[in-house]
Amino acid sequence: MFDWLANPNRFKRITNRLEPFLIVISVILITLGLYFGLFDSPKDYQQGDAVRIMYVHVPSAWLASLLFLSLAISCVFYLAWKHPLADIISSSIAPIGAMFSLLTLITGSLWGKPMWGTWWVWDARLTSMLVLFFFYLGYILLSNAFERKIDGSKSASVLAIIGVINLPIIKFSVDWWHTLHQPSSILRFEGPSIDNQMLLPLILMITGFSVFSLYIITINVKTKLIEKKCEALLLKSNLREFV
Amino acid sequence: MINLENLTIQRGSRTIFSDFNSVIETGLVTIIKGENGSGKSTLLRALAGFTPLENGKIKLNKKSILSSTEEWSQKLIFIDTKNGLSTDLTIIENLKFWVAVKGWSTSEENLRKALKSVNIDKYANLFISQCSEGLKKRAALARLYYSFINQIDFWILDEPTNELDQQSRVLFQKLISKFLKQKGTVVIASHDLNILAKKYNIIDLTLLNKRNIT
Amino acid sequence: MRPFHSSWTYIFIAHMKRDFLTNSRSLIDLISIIGFMLLIIFLFPLGIGPDKEKLGNVSNAIIWIGLILAILPSLEKILQKDYESGWLDQIATTDVPLEIVLLSKSISYWLIVLIPTILSSPLFAILLSMELKYLPWLILSMSIGGLGISLIGLNGSALILGAKRGNILLPILIIPLMIPILIFGVGINEAVKIGESPFGNLFLLMALTLIYLVISPFISALLVRIAIGR
Repeated sequence: MFDWLANPNRFKRITNRLEPFLIVISVILITLGLYFGLFDSPKDYQQGDAVRIMYVHVPSAWLASLLFLSLAISCVFYLAWKHPLADIISSSIAPIGAMFSLLTLITGSLWGKPMWGTWWVWDARLTSMLVLFFFYLGYILLSNAFERKIDGSKSASVLAIIGVINLPIIKFSVDWWHTLHQPSSILRFEGPSIDNQMLLPLILMITGFSVFSLYIITINVKTKLIEKKCEALLLKSNLREFV
Repeated sequence: MINLENLTIQRGSRTIFSDFNSVIETGLVTIIKGENGSGKSTLLRALAGFTPLENGKIKLNKKSILSSTEEWSQKLIFIDTKNGLSTDLTIIENLKFWVAVKGWSTSEENLRKALKSVNIDKYANLFISQCSEGLKKRAALARLYYSFINQIDFWILDEPTNELDQQSRVLFQKLISKFLKQKGTVVIASHDLNILAKKYNIIDLTLLNKRNIT
Repeated sequence: MRPFHSSWTYIFIAHMKRDFLTNSRSLIDLISIIGFMLLIIFLFPLGIGPDKEKLGNVSNAIIWIGLILAILPSLEKILQKDYESGWLDQIATTDVPLEIVLLSKSISYWLIVLIPTILSSPLFAILLSMELKYLPWLILSMSIGGLGISLIGLNGSALILGAKRGNILLPILIIPLMIPILIFGVGINEAVKIGESPFGNLFLLMALTLIYLVISPFISALLVRIAIGR
């Protein structure tokens, strides 16, 4: 499948046709999600309007995790079949996943301030998200730490796999840690239990974010493929001058 | 007979070998000739089973070496410019541990004989950090002696004579002759043809590269 | 039947002997690590104040964190020296699986570097006004945690094999992976301190170490093969 997709011209044709759909769908979904979330859904009786930040916070968290899983899968493909497209996809996913994890942390912080008066709470899930952010950061830094990019890609791919294996372990230990140091029970980012009116905007936002990510990843991959082609052409033309 | 069939090897984004075909006769010395950067070391490392091949096969007697890398690796001794010596150990300690991890008996007698075969037994207790380059190379080459005690069929050597003086080269030639007598195969990369056996085959990589660029 | 000296056990021990020998010749490394740890622990009273009660509250955590931080500079070296000298190439031509060889490296590092450092904990405990009766549990928990730290450290060393500025990157890569060990390890000691059973955390730590014992050599071997193939 990769070979079929990786033919640059074919890839360009397919993605060129997909792109307008992706961006339009994602904008629609996000707009609808925001509308329902910000205006049409109920206030939380405890937290008031501030709970609405959940409509950005929760989807971001979902996406950060989903993208990390995709990153790991792409890295497995790369290590197993050595296809360069897999590596390009991996390095396109990573910054976006990192952004979403950062967004989760920031919205979490913004949520915490009106709630509990602090800019940061050591909630189990926020802490795990911080760890995830470091995994993304580690992946990006490691893949660029080698003399030849291809060495970095291989090493970083293994790091992604290490991350995916360790993330459940770390999450478990952080949950354990959190219950050991039982803070007051209000400090839960669970938010209110989700009823139907809240479900709709959440799903809209998650789907909207996903489609948007797909859009950005596609653009990234296309750009990198074009870069590669330029490099190859440059190499050939340079050599022609010498021989 | 070692067959190199349709080898494609990449290092980074550079393709060093593209559909390369060649034959290495067993029981003989084959010299891989070429300038720096022509891919000699890459080819040797591929032969030793270290480098993954993008495409193609290396076959020994019709059987691909990649399907049984452990068996293949055990039958060979690989020495390159890095030597594989620890600076915190003495010459004889380095040899002893190398023999031990190969799974062979580390009898003192054989260790001494091995060092003697390259004339460094009097330096046995010198730390590698105190050794000259020539001494270090000979410390590595001492391993070759164990081919006469254990089942080793191939020597893959990358520039083994660069640091050797004339006297040591003579000793090295003797080792090669002895190895050939027991039907061993030697593959050497070098740009110094002043070496060794009376008969040797040459694989010249310089012509290859000119073709690749255009 | 294979002769004894070609058995995996014998070769495993040979690898460890070699590591012991090379490390004992550069004792400076071990002393630097203990010295570094001493300094890290020294900083806390300087920062927090000499109040015995305050220090006593966090002494367990400080010692664990001190250990993790103090060994970071030395982790890179587990594999780097052997990679650059070409020794890893030589190992690749032996018939013992690379996974077993790397496992021996982790265990060597644990025994040669971590255990001696952990055994100097009485010193650290005194500095932090920790009651000496908690020491046995501290040493036990750190010894078990130390094996996990060594296994993860080997992974880290393998990840940056051949990287240009790998050493700077290593903390970011490794420290998140150490979090579970830290949590369970300190959990053991805190439980002992308040009189509760430490066995919950202890079993978790042991289970974790077992998981790493199995996974880490395979990951390290994968990375070493990639590095050798360059």
